[in-house]
Amino acid sequence: MRIGYYISGAGHVLLILWVFFGGMFNTPPQSFEVTEVSVISGAEFEAMMAGVQTPEVTTDVAMPAPELPAEVAPPVESQPDPTPPPAEPQVTEAPPADPVPQQPDPLPQQAEAEVSDEAPLIAPPPQEEVVLAPNTSDRPVPRPAERVAPEPVAAPEPDTQVSDAVTEEVVIDDTAEVVREETEGGAPEEATTRIVTEAMEEPSAAPTTSVRPRTRPARPEPAPVAETPREPAPQQQAQQPAPQPDQTADAVNDALRQALEGGAASPAAGGQSGPPITSGERDALRVAVQQCWNVGSLSSEALRTTVVVGVSMTEDGRPMNDSLRMLGYDGGSEAAARQAFESARRAIIRCGANGFNLPRDKYAQWREIEMTFNPENMRIR
Amino acid sequence: MMTRVLTLLAALLVFALPAAAQTGPLRIEITEGVIEPLPFANPDFVAENAAAADLARQIARVVSEDLTGTGLFREIPASAFISQITSFNSPVQFSDWRAINAQALISGAVSVGGDGSVAVKFRLYDVFAGQELGDGLQFNGTQAGWRRIAHKVADAVYSRITGEGGYFDSRVVYVAETGPKDDRRKRLAIMDYDGANVQYLTDSNAIVLAPRFSPTGDRILFTSYESGFPRIYVMDVASVGRRALPTLEGDMSFAPRFAPDGNTVVYSLTTGGNTDIYRMDINSGAATRLTSTPSIETAPSFSPDGSRIVFESDRSGTQQLYIMGAQGGEPQRISFGQGRYGTPVWSPRGDLIAFTKQSKGRFHIGVMRTDGSEERLLTASFLDEGPTWSPNGRVIMFTRETQGETGAASLYSVDISGRNLRQIRTEGGASDPAWSPLQR
Repeated sequence: MRIGYYISGAGHVLLILWVFFGGMFNTPPQSFEVTEVSVISGAEFEAMMAGVQTPEVTTDVAMPAPELPAEVAPPVESQPDPTPPPAEPQVTEAPPADPVPQQPDPLPQQAEAEVSDEAPLIAPPPQEEVVLAPNTSDRPVPRPAERVAPEPVAAPEPDTQVSDAVTEEVVIDDTAEVVREETEGGAPEEATTRIVTEAMEEPSAAPTTSVRPRTRPARPEPAPVAETPREPAPQQQAQQPAPQPDQTADAVNDALRQALEGGAASPAAGGQSGPPITSGERDALRVAVQQCWNVGSLSSEALRTTVVVGVSMTEDGRPMNDSLRMLGYDGGSEAAARQAFESARRAIIRCGANGFNLPRDKYAQWREIEMTFNPENMRIR
Repeated sequence: MMTRVLTLLAALLVFALPAAAQTGPLRIEITEGVIEPLPFANPDFVAENAAAADLARQIARVVSEDLTGTGLFREIPASAFISQITSFNSPVQFSDWRAINAQALISGAVSVGGDGSVAVKFRLYDVFAGQELGDGLQFNGTQAGWRRIAHKVADAVYSRITGEGGYFDSRVVYVAETGPKDDRRKRLAIMDYDGANVQYLTDSNAIVLAPRFSPTGDRILFTSYESGFPRIYVMDVASVGRRALPTLEGDMSFAPRFAPDGNTVVYSLTTGGNTDIYRMDINSGAATRLTSTPSIETAPSFSPDGSRIVFESDRSGTQQLYIMGAQGGEPQRISFGQGRYGTPVWSPRGDLIAFTKQSKGRFHIGVMRTDGSEERLLTASFLDEGPTWSPNGRVIMFTRETQGETGAASLYSVDISGRNLRQIRTEGGASDPAWSPLQR
């Protein structure tokens, strides 16, 4: 163990000795040049500098000589450049003519189609045998079952269970009054000694399948009915005591009448049909118009005026420009309403130039549109 | 029980049926729109003779500048035009103008007569409707007055599209300022509303303040320190002749304004250290005192019908706005917001009052209803003051002064919606503007 220390110590000592005495920290001397300097006096320096010339500064700049006028210029006899003799056109040999292609081999004659004047008889397709679907299908008959024994089998006795609770023995008291529970009277429960199985049932004649109902035939146009004067109520009825008016029933009738009047399509309305305009379709039209409704140039009075504009539409969703009309206005003078209408008209024409996105199958419902332009949210406050 | 069921069914029908079926036209309500300048096309007017070539182009440019300067219109550049107007009477190809989204088209022609007279005619078209907006108009004038003719054309176009009167053929009197801030020279000047045709009405020997037009625009009231004290003068615009309104020696009169009748002046008079509001018959010089309080009452302004006067007073401790009858009486305070209110001016329409408000170290130009409600601040800066209304009550012009030693005053205009803030071109500094009525 100590041998290792000795070896290590000796190694370190040798290393330290080599570092100090082996010349590791000795730097070689740098070489330098030595220049001899001679000292001169001030008189010698002036004598030396006297030979150097300082450039003169002048402000007079000689003007460039003006160009001689053309008349002063000596006449120069110009001789035309000798015209080079026209070069002889180089004659080039014509390229050899393209080889004439050889006549191609004649196409093989197509075989003439055999055409017969008589139309071939086409065998009629085999007719499908039409088989009427049965209105009823035979109900599968269940297999017969054995008859049930006429005498019911006595039920097995229930398992006896011993209760943990001790119950006192009941002593019959003959003197006590017996209270019988009242029971509702009725027919005794129906009972039979024979069970009828499906196998014994006779098949019912009732249809088990239903035929798809036919479409309703078109309703005939109602014949015009001449108004007939309402017959006066019989005096006998008038003499009867008038029934008390049922206010609730009246209200119900009024509501129904209003709903029906407002909802039923009248023939005068143009026979509107198809599904109703959805709120999304209304909103799409509203958004499309309001994008073009520019109220920036309207007067403050026009911004207080609500106008109702009527417009007829073509089937491709474009407004008929000639049909644009002001149906009414509210809140301002006639002049202000006119400005508001013109602004609304520009909005409809501009944004409807390419057609509004309206469902074509509901054209009957948007053939005529009334737009109310209410600038309440846009006015200067 | 049955009745309830019926009621329920009826209610369901009421709500369900209108959605399921519809009678008559489809009805929708538009309640939202856009606020943006209306694009218009204004090709150079047609020169009907060679002498009118330059005028035709210049008049068209002034018309366009008038319209675009309102912020309500946007001119479509000529480079976008598909077709040109080569003849005043040739039919308009509306499809070409629709294609570049021109919603209005102005077509005009100019001719110069042998005597130097100028005739300008124009037509305005609603391009998308494909029809003319109103009838064609013609204005006759002199070559020197071609700008006024152009303003009149612009007024007519503006009026036909917006529905309210124009304000382009009007002038502004103001105080022109020159020199450094500590030695500023002031004189009265008058110009077109757009800064053109500047004329100086006074020299700069005496400080002048607060010029105000008469209802007809032919006279000007202003305050001058010519006598050493502030004193009110009335000047005839055409002859530039002037005279001082009668006041006692030593009294200071200032802040004058005409009544709508043009014969009465309402103003402030400081006498004995107290400032009150007076009214004076401008012909007889008879004055009537309208307020009598120890506080300072000033900046009176008549309502358009001449029945009421709005003014500022510090009787409550701070500067606030009050309204009283034209003959005086108990005033009613209308400003209750934070800050100080001053220089109220009644709108020509009579519905709004413009004012200067100082709050939290900032100055604002604002408007409020005549009962003080719906106060809106339109501007904010280091110093905004002295509003004046355009003849149609749509635009307000005021003074804005910049901060610092080199700060200068200039004129700005703003729409009563708070949009379209613009600086008015003036020669040098300018302050205290007063807008004239439309010229006749």
